[in-house]
Amino acid sequence: MVFAVVIIGELLAFILTLAPLNMAQQRWNNLALISLFIQWNGLMCSGVLCLLRPFIKNYSQQFIAVSSYLSVLLMLTVLSELTFYIMQLYAITDIISTTSHWEFLAHNLLIGGIIGALALRYFYIQHQWRLKIEAESCTKLQLLQARIRPHFLFNSMNSIASLTRTRPDVAERITEDLAELFRMILRDNHELITWSREKELSQRYIDIEKQRLGERLSIQWQTDAIPDNALIPALLIQPLLENAIFHGIEPEITGGSIIVSGELDSSQLKAPQLKISIQNTNSKNLIHRQGNKMALSNIRERLHTHFPGNASITCHEKDDIYFAIVTMPYQHKPDE
Amino acid sequence: MKILIVDDEPLARERLVHLLTEINQENQFIEASNGLEAIEQVNNEEPDIVLMDIRMPGMNGLEATKHLMNIDNPPAIIFTTAYDEYALQAFESQAVDYLLKPIRKERLEKALNSCSKLNKVQLEQLGLQNREISYRTHISAQIRGTLFLVAIKDIYCFLADHKYVTVKYDKEGILAETIIEDTLKSLEEEFATSFLRIHRNALIRKDNIEALQKQNDGRMLLKLRGLPEGLEVSRRHFSSVRKLMKT
Repeated sequence: MVFAVVIIGELLAFILTLAPLNMAQQRWNNLALISLFIQWNGLMCSGVLCLLRPFIKNYSQQFIAVSSYLSVLLMLTVLSELTFYIMQLYAITDIISTTSHWEFLAHNLLIGGIIGALALRYFYIQHQWRLKIEAESCTKLQLLQARIRPHFLFNSMNSIASLTRTRPDVAERITEDLAELFRMILRDNHELITWSREKELSQRYIDIEKQRLGERLSIQWQTDAIPDNALIPALLIQPLLENAIFHGIEPEITGGSIIVSGELDSSQLKAPQLKISIQNTNSKNLIHRQGNKMALSNIRERLHTHFPGNASITCHEKDDIYFAIVTMPYQHKPDE
Repeated sequence: MKILIVDDEPLARERLVHLLTEINQENQFIEASNGLEAIEQVNNEEPDIVLMDIRMPGMNGLEATKHLMNIDNPPAIIFTTAYDEYALQAFESQAVDYLLKPIRKERLEKALNSCSKLNKVQLEQLGLQNREISYRTHISAQIRGTLFLVAIKDIYCFLADHKYVTVKYDKEGILAETIIEDTLKSLEEEFATSFLRIHRNALIRKDNIEALQKQNDGRMLLKLRGLPEGLEVSRRHFSSVRKLMKT
């Protein structure tokens, strides 16, 4: 950043020197003086901003912007005054001979104010850009992890390894289920699929987990109200089931139950809405396991892509039951 | 060798039994599906080696291990896990034996042959690095060689008396007490969210306070639900008791 300040300052000095057309002889002398003044200003302002950083970094962006700008202007005023005083003292009057004290100050503040604002804006945008790059690379990874919980993968592998000896037919089926699920998970799932397909995938998933958890996992599907050809984003339900198992079933010795229910709400005047809710008995264990909130934010994002502003996912807990409710506009695949 | 297999998933246990039989026909197995059962089995069967899953309902493997380490002659413990990013880092750094599921036979064999006993320092470090799963749900005490557990939710108070700390708790509706090895100070730190120090020698469960009574001689006594005698509140801890009772 400091390097950028030096470069910007020097460019400004050049512009200021070259701008007037009529002082050919003194130009290089002036450049030196102007550079000196500008570099002082630039570096002092950077220094002050660095010192300010710990005090203002916790405030809002507006506050930071205004306070940085004001401190730059303040530094400019102080340095201008100092410069004026020094120049008078050593009688370097070439530049300021024609100008009064106040004119000199106003002149500096005006130029400094404009350039300072531009420079701050430039650094702000650069900072935002860097954040965006970081966020993007991070999201890609999180996206993948939101789709695959490593726990699930390795536990399933272990189940298969065990079943291969004793019940090869079950092992075979689970491997097929796992393959089908992962084929969908690894696809860039930007598409809408029918409810019947989504339900099938979710049941494959539950099948795999049931091998592992046995009687501890019980699930009910109360989804007859959802038309089979209703369209929903692919793998919307599976991550919610995964969350329910991770937080509600696994931590309890006796396990728990999950209820998936759905309704088609066409009573309102507006377009019909599809509502799917997943509820699970929540673990009463002292400390909740750290889950990945990524699954939820991933679903939220995908709902927004498909139905901007019209779909939502909300979660709440009531009487030890945890609810995740997805609402979205009802769309359906045309009948073939 | 007598081996205790602790895992909440039947399939995982089944696989280990198969592998262990292949390694040595003479191995004996016992199984447990969570930490509480594991402790019971260790008490009854005194296994040589425990294969301990980390994430389990009821009581997790790390806590069960903590309790087992209090026995005079604890079994060797080998942790097993399918995936635990943070726990694994901790194991690596503490050079603690662990096996990744699905476990390879050769790897298991090697672990059985070379397993060394955990020491308390290693275990403490593991706890520090895995705060999420290193809390205790029980307090353990050793009575005549067997390990005995008291659920934290059943405890009324801890009282320090000369050398020992006594814990008073509800045992199926009856007031019971036992001596434990923990110090009041460490208990106070560990259970700061649910227990409060009211005197140099007393730590009480916060949600069990009934009333605060002033005695004729000026002393303050705190009544707890289910505990007949009141406990003295020292002047130093009086304000924190009052603050708690107001909220």
